[in-house]
Parts: sequence; structure tokens; C-alpha cells
Amino acid sequence: MMNIPNRKEYLQQQSQSGQQIMGVLPALYPREMLWAFDILPAEIWDPPGDILHANAHLQATICPVVKRSLEFILKEPDIINAGYLFPHTCDSLQNLATQVKDLIGVPVPVYSFYNPKGEFNRTTRQYYTDILGDFQTILEQQHGSLDRKKLSTACKLGHKIDSRRLELQNARMTDRLPLSNSEYFQLIRAGEYLQPEDYLKLLDAISIPDEPIPNDKARIMVSGILPPHPDMLEYFDDLHLSLVADDLLAGSRRIPRIKLDPPQDPMEYLTERFFLLPPCSTKAGSLDERFRYLNKRIGNSQAQGVLFNIVKFCEPELFDHHLMVKALKDTGIPVLSMDTELQGGLSGQDKTRIEALGELLRDRMVS
Amino acid sequence: MPPRLFVGVDVGSLSTDLVLLNDQGKVLSEIIIATGVNGAEAAEIAFDEALSETELTRGDISAVTATGYGRASVAFATGKTTEISCHGVGAHQLFPNTGTVIDIGGQDSKVIQIDARGRMLDFTMNDKCAAGTGRFLEVMADRLELDLGELSNPLNLEGETAPISSTCTVFAESEVISLLAKHTPREQIVNGLQRSIVNRIWSMVTSIGVQGEVTLTGGVANNKGLVLLLEAQLGRPVNVPDNPQIVGALGAAHIALKGYSQG
Ligand SMILES: Nc1ncnc2c1ncn2[C@@H]1O[C@H](COP(=O)(O)OP(=O)(O)O)[C@@H](O)[C@H]1O
Ligand code: SF4
Repeated sequence: MMNIPNRKEYLQQQSQSGQQIMGVLPALYPREMLWAFDILPAEIWDPPGDILHANAHLQATICPVVKRSLEFILKEPDIINAGYLFPHTCDSLQNLATQVKDLIGVPVPVYSFYNPKGEFNRTTRQYYTDILGDFQTILEQQHGSLDRKKLSTACKLGHKIDSRRLELQNARMTDRLPLSNSEYFQLIRAGEYLQPEDYLKLLDAISIPDEPIPNDKARIMVSGILPPHPDMLEYFDDLHLSLVADDLLAGSRRIPRIKLDPPQDPMEYLTERFFLLPPCSTKAGSLDERFRYLNKRIGNSQAQGVLFNIVKFCEPELFDHHLMVKALKDTGIPVLSMDTELQGGLSGQDKTRIEALGELLRDRMVS
Repeated sequence: MPPRLFVGVDVGSLSTDLVLLNDQGKVLSEIIIATGVNGAEAAEIAFDEALSETELTRGDISAVTATGYGRASVAFATGKTTEISCHGVGAHQLFPNTGTVIDIGGQDSKVIQIDARGRMLDFTMNDKCAAGTGRFLEVMADRLELDLGELSNPLNLEGETAPISSTCTVFAESEVISLLAKHTPREQIVNGLQRSIVNRIWSMVTSIGVQGEVTLTGGVANNKGLVLLLEAQLGRPVNVPDNPQIVGALGAAHIALKGYSQG
């Protein structure tokens, strides 16, 4: 089956071989630009371990992504030698960036990347191209001039990864991907730390049959920030529930909706790519557009139910959640919302909720 | 041919309930015992009690559906179904016009919408804490030195209520301690506690909505004061089964019967 290197061991090996590694907080950032500077982005979403020191710096009602990231940063891990990057995803992460930079202090540089928000138009496109340029200038101060050829190669590699991810995603929606829920999301998440060449090899090694694989499992689309905890994914597998489609920030919301033309001008390509990403709560776009997108995805994957896997206290998601649930339920599709603290096993109540969703979907399948 | 017989067993956090049905859906035996520390054992005891009451043996039973948080531990079960589906089916059997089921058990509470055939349409369930559950009432009964019967006295809806602002068991308990220290009458505190549960349930009800008749199940439905408050809050009467604790097991037994007849 798949041979995915362990995150910690892989990054340690990379660091020992002299690789520059930047800790990147969720979620949208120009990874191709980092690759072009020979920097490996290692994304920090839900590092395991107890939260011991981070709570002293944060309010109780801050999401566990921020808490866990800060706990990780406070340990000053050796592997992160090229700094931290905080994309402007939400206010909590923005505040964390300020704290880490100005109050706590870390021995490596701290960068921000202010993604545009709201409705997108020509001005926002120009803004995005400008901040890409600014980001390049800031990185050049530490890492020397950008090699344009390297950026071009990085964009081509990124384009191949995106295209392959899109193929795999479509294959999963149409029952042509022989991977369990756990395997699929493990594969997706490997892109958070592998070198692009290694990741592409991994993606290419998955074969996609021409014909659909018979699938009598109940079909679910999962939405939220992160995929469910691995224990929960296994439980879905045990119950013959298939997460056929995702609308996750750590998943499909980071892959352009359609296959782009191969890159010519890197900056234009990166800008185009950003504006072709699916709607997302963290971009504060139109709720109507987000609903239409979700509905279309449900149709394409023939999902019979939707699971919202909500990170506790995640403001952007909670803002959209209520309206999305209502609008989806109005279309007649069953919706289950579950809170997650990211780590910790599956409670009896969680199991009951998941099983009950399965019973509800199966009842509908037989009638 | 002797009639076929079906069992539903609900291994809950506090009580283990069992229903024995014949193939016409007639209840032949109902057992409620404390779950104690071992749910698997409680299920065995309840099963044996029902069999000895009806002078049957295990071999006479065609199918058994287990439900409740301990459903996976029932060795003699032939199938398992969540208590969410079972309360829906059980409530439908007792009150066929039920559209909304509110189940308040020992450690969790749920609101379930069902269709005209008793099938689940939507549901919501409380978080991992004990807010809005029977456990909340038990902790408070202990603190007030009242038994559960006393804690469930019907109250004067117009009467004074001690304000309990927290639905969280830990915070509410400290509020009760300070109310007792201020010599607040215990009836007022009881009233406040019941309101606190109803408020918690109300927020779940509003998240999925009410349709059709409302049926209240689970042990807390025995709390008469709480039922009155809930009816006032919902603005409509609530069906309360004679034996609300048994509804999950009844639903499970009907699911066993239906599964068996459908092969
Ligand atoms: N006679 C009673 N009067 C008031 N409350 C009661 C009575 N009997 C049980 N309860 C409440 O019911 C709860 C148990 O409900 P039950 O449905 O048996 O829970 P579970 O299914 O989790 O075992 C107890 O916590 C208690 O608060
Ligand atoms: S989980 Fe939500 S609140 Fe937390 S960092 Fe991510 S977007 Fe921000």
C-alpha cells in the first residue's frame, strides 16, 4: 500500500541534511515561492502533545489549532530554522503572529502574508500580485535574490501536484479510488510536510482504475478546517461510511477548482491559482457562492449526507456554519455537526452520533 | 408454531432496560435495573429476569437488538442500533403522531425528529458534559439532600425561582451551595434547577425545530415539575409514557422484530 514517511522523522532527516525549513501556520500561502528559495514549508495545524504553556498566553476561547501551534512554537523546535509564516487566515492567527513576534520572541524570523478577503475583483487581483512581490522582497533580505528559473520550476511542480490532486479528488467522488477514509486523508495531509518531488511521487503512485469500484457504502461529504481525527476516520471505515468528498481547508479548499493551464509567467500563474481556489469561510466571501459550491459538490459526489467537523471556537467556520447547515437542510440533505478539539480519542457520544448518521442514511437508502 | 419473540435491551449509564415482545408487537415483559459498574452483566441479569418472569429460555428468542451507550457489550445481542433511532421508534409505537422526541437520560439528552413511520429525520445530542441531563439533577439532589422524587415535585409555575444562571454542573453546584448559605428555600432552588435543564433542552430544540406531537422519554421524564416547565416553554402539551425509561428498549425490540421479519 502507500508508504508515507512519518512527519516528525521526515522533517528531522531533512533538517539534519541541512534543509531550510519554515514553520507555516494555516492555511493559504504561496508555497511555490518558498520552494523557489529552497525552503521546505512544514505546516503546523494540530501538533500532538499536551498543552502546557500555551494557555498562559491565550484566552480560554481560542481554537485548539492556535493553542497547539503556540505550544509547538514555544518549544523552539530545532527543525524550524528558516522562521515562521503566518498567513492572514483569521483574527486568532493574526493575534498569535503579533504575540510570537513582539511579545514572546523566537530565535528565527516571523513573517506574515496578508491574503485578500471579501469579494474578489480586479483590484484584489492587483493587491495579490503586489503582496507576492512584497513577500519575495522580504525573503530576499534573508535568502538572497530569487532565481526566476527556480520559481518557474516550482510553479510547474505545484501545477503537477494540483492537477494530480484534482484527479484523485474526482476519482474519489466517482468511486475510482481504492483508498479507505484513513488512507485518503493521510495521503492528502502528507502534502503538509513532504518535499514537492516526494509528494508528487506519492500521488503518482496511486493508480486510478477506469471503471468505478462497486461501492454500497453510505456517502458523506465532510466540511470544516481539518479532516476528522484518525480514530474517527477508522470508525467511519468500520461502519461502511465513505467520506467521498471534502470541503476542508486542509483539503480541497487549497486546490484550484479547475485544472489551470501550465504556468508561463510565475506571478500571473500564482495569482490566477489563488483566485481559482474554492470558496472558504476564512476568505469571508459570499455565503451564497459558498452554498452553491457545496451543493454542486454534493451533486457531483452523490453525497447523501454532510458532516461538519468543526474545530472548537473556530470563528470563521462558526460564522458560516449556522447558515450553511440551515440552507443544506432545506434542500433535504441530512447534516451532522461535530465539535472537535483535534486530539483525544473518540467519545461514546461521538460514536453514537456517527452511527446514528449512518442509520439515518441507510434507512433512506432502503426506502 | 410457537410465536416468535424479540428482545430490546438498552444499556444506559444509569439504568439497563429490557423489553420482550411477541411477533404481534405485544409487550410480554419490561425490566428496569441499575446498570452499576458492568453493563454487560446488567444486560445478562435483565435478560434472565425477563425470561424467568415469562418462563421462557434464551432459545425461545428469535432476535435481540442492543442499544444505549453499552450496546456493544451485550453478548447475547444479534444486532445493535443507536439509542437515537431506538427512542424514535419506541416513541412512535407509543404515540404514533409523535414528530419530535426529547430524550433526557442519565448522561446525555437528545432531540430527535421522526417521520410518520417513526424513522429518524434529524437529531441533535448534548455535548460531552452533564449539562441538561439526569446526572445534573442527581448531583444537585445530593447537594440539597433530597431524593429524586422530592426533586421532581410539581411546582407552582408562578412561584418564586432561585436564579441558577449556569447550565454547567460544576458551576451550578457552587451556585446551589451559595443559595443554601443564603437560606434560600429549597423549593425555589429545585425550581431554578429544573428551569436550568429546560433552558439547556430548549437550546437543543431550537437548533432543529419542533414538528408534530412532542414525546418526552428517558428517566428525567419522571420529573413532573420539569415536564410542566417544558410544556410551558414549548407552548404545547408533551406526551409522557407511563414508563419513560423503557422507550429505548421498546424501540430496540421493535427494530429486532422488523429486522427479523424482513430477513
Ligand atoms: N422517579 C424519578 N423521578 C425523577 N427523576 C428520575 C426518576 N427516575 C429516574 N430519574 C432521572 O432519570 C435519570 C436516568 O435516566 P435513564 O433514562 O435511565 O438514563 P440512562 O439511559 O442514561 O441510564 C436519572 O439521572 C434521574 O435524574
Ligand atoms: S481553526 Fe479557525 S480560528 Fe483556528 S486558526 Fe484555523 S481558521 Fe483560525
